[in-house]
Amino acid sequence: MSLLQQEREIILSNEHVDNFDFAEVEDFIRNADKNLFISHHFKNKKKMLVQPRGGFPTYKKQFALNEFFVEANVDVLPLTIDSNTRLNDYATAKKMLLLSEENDVDMLNGYPLVTHGYRATRKMVTHFNKPVSLRHGTPDARLLIETALASGIFDIEGGPITYLLPYSKNFPLDKAFLYWKYVEKICANYSKLNEPINRESFGALTATLVPPAITITIQLLEMLLSLEEGVKSFSVSFSQTGSMNQDIVMGAVIKKLSRHYASSINCSDATINLVYHQWMGAFPTNKDFAEQLINMSTVIAAMVGADKIITKTREEASGIPTKEANAKTVANTQYTLGILNGLPKIVDEEEEEILTLEVNAIMEAVFNDSADTLWRKVFNSIKSGVIDVPFSPHIINHNEMITIRDAKKNIRIIKRGNVPIPDRCFLYEKAQCDLTKDTTSMVNDIIHDIGIMQ
Amino acid sequence: MKVVTGVVGNDIHVVANRLIELSLNARGFEVFNLGVNTYLEEFFDAAVETNADVLLISSLNGEAEGWSREVKLLRSKYKTLDKLVMVIGGNLVVGTADAETIVPKYKKYGFDLIFHQVDLNTGLDTLEEYLKERKIV
Repeated sequence: MSLLQQEREIILSNEHVDNFDFAEVEDFIRNADKNLFISHHFKNKKKMLVQPRGGFPTYKKQFALNEFFVEANVDVLPLTIDSNTRLNDYATAKKMLLLSEENDVDMLNGYPLVTHGYRATRKMVTHFNKPVSLRHGTPDARLLIETALASGIFDIEGGPITYLLPYSKNFPLDKAFLYWKYVEKICANYSKLNEPINRESFGALTATLVPPAITITIQLLEMLLSLEEGVKSFSVSFSQTGSMNQDIVMGAVIKKLSRHYASSINCSDATINLVYHQWMGAFPTNKDFAEQLINMSTVIAAMVGADKIITKTREEASGIPTKEANAKTVANTQYTLGILNGLPKIVDEEEEEILTLEVNAIMEAVFNDSADTLWRKVFNSIKSGVIDVPFSPHIINHNEMITIRDAKKNIRIIKRGNVPIPDRCFLYEKAQCDLTKDTTSMVNDIIHDIGIMQ
Repeated sequence: MKVVTGVVGNDIHVVANRLIELSLNARGFEVFNLGVNTYLEEFFDAAVETNADVLLISSLNGEAEGWSREVKLLRSKYKTLDKLVMVIGGNLVVGTADAETIVPKYKKYGFDLIFHQVDLNTGLDTLEEYLKERKIV
C-alpha cells in the first residue's frame, strides 16, 4: 500500500466518519455526471459563471437554499462550511448541529459537512446536478476534502497560504503546506477518472489594502504547488480593489503570468481560469447602496474578463444573509451580465509593465531561496518577509509593508519591508501618492482607504 | 516609553491593531505588539518581560468585558506591575451600551483610561496628556 493510501486510511478511520468506502467513492467519481464538474462548465461556457456564497447547518435549510439558487438561475452552487469544522472540532460541530435541528435556530455559521457525511450530502448534490464549490478556510482540510469529493463536490477552494495568513494567528504554516499537499494529490488522482477536479485559490486574502503584486504572487505560487502534484484545472482569483483600472490591469497580468509560470514547470496542459470576487471589504449598511456596489462589481468583473464571479448580498453589512437576499443577488447579477454588451477594451501598458516587473521580482526571490522544494522556498519567503500580506493576523507574517490609496484609489506600496519590489517600480508607486503627510494623518487616510465603500 | 499592546481573547480583528502599532510608533513609543488573540496572562507576562510603562489592550468583538473581570486578580499575582498604566479601548461591550455605563465598570476592573468607541488619535492624545500629568514621560 502506498504511503498516501496509508495516510488516507488513518484520516478516514475515526468516530466522525461512518465507514468510508474507498472503492465505492472511486466508482461514484468515475461515473459521475459531467454537470457536477465545474471544469466541464469552464470548458463549454458561453458566459461568466455566477456563484453565490452560502451555508446553513441543517440538511433541510441547505436544501431549501439550493432550491432558491436554482430558481434564480445559479451556475455554481456554494457550500460554505462552519467554523468548528474548519478548525477540525467535529465534536462541537455535531453538538451544534443537533441543537440546530432540535430548536430550528442556527447554531453554526455553515454546513458541517463531515458531520452530515458524504452519503447524505451526495444525495443533495446529485439531486440538483449542478457544480458545487466548497468554501471554508481550513488549514488541515484532509478529512473535509475527502468527504467533499466523495459527496460529488468537485470545486475545492483554498490553499496553504490563502487559507492560513488571513484566518489564523498561530497555526503552523509548514504543517499547512503538508496538509494541502495531501489535498492536491487526492484531487490530482481523482482527476484521472473523469473530468478534472478544479482547485481554486482564495485571492481576496485579508481584503484590506493588499497590493496586486502580493495577491498575484501568492496566486501563482499556490497554482504551482497544485499543478506540481498533478492538478489539471486551477482557478486563480482576486477581489475588487476599489479602482476599476487596477482591477483590469490585475486581470490582464494574472492571466498572462499564470500561463507563463504553468508552462515553466511543463504544465501548459492544465486549464487556468480567473475568478473575481465582488467587493470583499466592509459594506455599506444601506441595503440599496449595497446593491449598487454589487452591480458595479459585476460590471468590473466583465471588464476584467473573469470566468466566474462570486457574489455578495445586500445584507452583507448585517450578518449571514437570508436565502431570499442571496438568491436575489444571483438573479440580479445574471441580469446585469446579460445586458452588458459591447464592452470597450482597456489596456494600460505602463501599469501592466510595472506590476509584471514586481511579480517577477518576488517570484525570482522565492525561487532563489536555497531550500530543496517549492513549498519550503515559499515557507522561507513568508518567514523572511519576501512575501508580506498587509493586515494578516498570523505571527509568521512580517507586517513591514505599508500600502495606501492614491488619488485614483489604486492601492500603492509606500513601504516595501523585505519584499523585493524593484527600485523603479517602488519609485513609480510612491510618485502616485501624497507622501508629505505626517503619520497621524496617514493613519487616518488608511482608515478611510479601508472603508472606501461605506 | 514602552507600550505592550494587543487584542484580548479569541478576537481575530487585526486592522485596528496594526494601526495602533503604526500610530504609537509615530508618536515615539517603543511598541511590543502581541497581535490578535492574546490572553490576559500573555499581556502581563509581556509587561514584566519588557518592563513596560503602559499596557494598552484592545477589543473589537466586545469580549473584553468577560476577560476584564479577571484583571485585578491576575495583576495582583505579579510583583513588579504597580506602576503599569492600564488602558483599554475599542468596542468594549457585546451588543450596545454607552460610555457612561461602560467607563465606571472598567474603572472598577482596574483600568486607568477607558476608550469606548473613541477615535484612535483622540485616545492616544488623551494617553499622552495623562502620562505628562503624572510625570511618567
